[in-house]
Amino acid sequence: MTRTFDPVIRELRDMLLQMGSRSEAILQKSLRALEERSVQLADEVAIDDIDIDRLDVAIDFAILEALALNAPVAGDLREVFGIKMIATDLERVGDLARNIAKSARRSADRAELEPPEALDRLARSALDQLRRSLDAYARGDVETARGVLEGDDQVDAEEDVVIVQELTEIARDASIAPQAVDLILVAKNLERVADHATNIAEDVILIIEAQNIKHAAKFGATS
Amino acid sequence: MTNAIAPTNSAHAIPGSSARAGRGSIKMSARAVNVHYGATHAVKDAVLDISINEVTALIGPSGCGKSTLLRCFNRMNDDIVGCRVTGDIRLDGEPINDSEMDVVELRARVGMVFQKPYPFPKSIEENIAYGPRIHGLAKKGMELDAIVERSLQRAGLWDEVRDRLGSPANSLSGGQQQRLCIARALAVDPEVILMDEPCSALDPIATAKVEELIDELRGGYAIAIVTHNLQQAARISQKTAFFHMGQLIEYGPTSEIFTNPKVQKTNDYITGRYG
Repeated sequence: MTRTFDPVIRELRDMLLQMGSRSEAILQKSLRALEERSVQLADEVAIDDIDIDRLDVAIDFAILEALALNAPVAGDLREVFGIKMIATDLERVGDLARNIAKSARRSADRAELEPPEALDRLARSALDQLRRSLDAYARGDVETARGVLEGDDQVDAEEDVVIVQELTEIARDASIAPQAVDLILVAKNLERVADHATNIAEDVILIIEAQNIKHAAKFGATS
Repeated sequence: MTNAIAPTNSAHAIPGSSARAGRGSIKMSARAVNVHYGATHAVKDAVLDISINEVTALIGPSGCGKSTLLRCFNRMNDDIVGCRVTGDIRLDGEPINDSEMDVVELRARVGMVFQKPYPFPKSIEENIAYGPRIHGLAKKGMELDAIVERSLQRAGLWDEVRDRLGSPANSLSGGQQQRLCIARALAVDPEVILMDEPCSALDPIATAKVEELIDELRGGYAIAIVTHNLQQAARISQKTAFFHMGQLIEYGPTSEIFTNPKVQKTNDYITGRYG
């Protein structure tokens, strides 16, 4: 608990932001793999995900060391705690991108089914949510974090549109079911990415304002 | 004094409350306390409560007035030439600075443990028996023996010294000497225990034992401790008061002070960014 903690927290922030930019990049690459029906890009996603996992483990070690050697308190403690939480969400984003890449790999072997525009909108929204949540952390910007929370309903609605559209397509032509189901899975994975973005936004609010707003709607009040 | 406890008269409205009252009941209160050492204004309008079954930690940089304020609670500052204390300090609602207050009796009710253990140059047993004897708490030898044993047990020292009660107190280790001094304070059956950096001269093992002891004692006493070890304050106290340049800056539940202090200066101090 001295000023020597400043470089420690800076290093943790740098590692987390590096993990964040890689998470954005891997998600974009998985979507390109789907769009371009590229097995090569899909394979790259699996490799990129290992790098994200390595960063996650490195952050775990750095956090344990920071807690053991620096015993942070107050805002420092909340940020260390928040960094661990955000890293866990980003690691999951990497896994979800890998899931999308798996769908892309499968679709490359099948007859092409044009992804609906709604899926494109959903992908842009999920990416935007992730990017804004990381911006909110990087800038300590609570307003942006709250904006991410408000944006989650739109993502859910966009996912519903994709699911309804693809189910309609399957009803019309059962032979395209494998490709359509994969597009539904992609939509589900994108919706989960947005959920992780909201988790990150909640962590930003915890770090900055010391307010834990997770599950606030269920609890009926903030805690 | 943002977020500091507001000066109220509520503390003064509980005459007759005792150490056996419920947890959190105010045992001692300080209101508008000022301490001057000559021209130096060491404590400025301090407001603080010491509650039953709680440890109240006083933290802050050197020279912030925390030890000076602690000493006000059993009038230890009376003995310092040039020291002037004003304001209202009460024990169970009774003002302790009144001329009617018997200082010897006050110091028996409000015990003090210092930074360095200073056992009397006598046997372990005599160190404990001295206080009860001069306060007339025991008339017979057996009664005194019982007090010695009970005090050493409360201080977690009995098992270590029971076979050598006649040995010189100075033969004990530093940690044992400090627990002996705590036992000595307990022997006169105090209601409040004041501790001024009681672990600063101890190694980590001895510190851990004293911290465990403080936590156990909390069940029967109101305790206030001055410490520079912020982790110690976080570990053992239920309330924390942060002082800076003679002023109480923030006071509240320790769990809140160390996770979400309301005053920036408190945050800067406990995160090591002060100064």
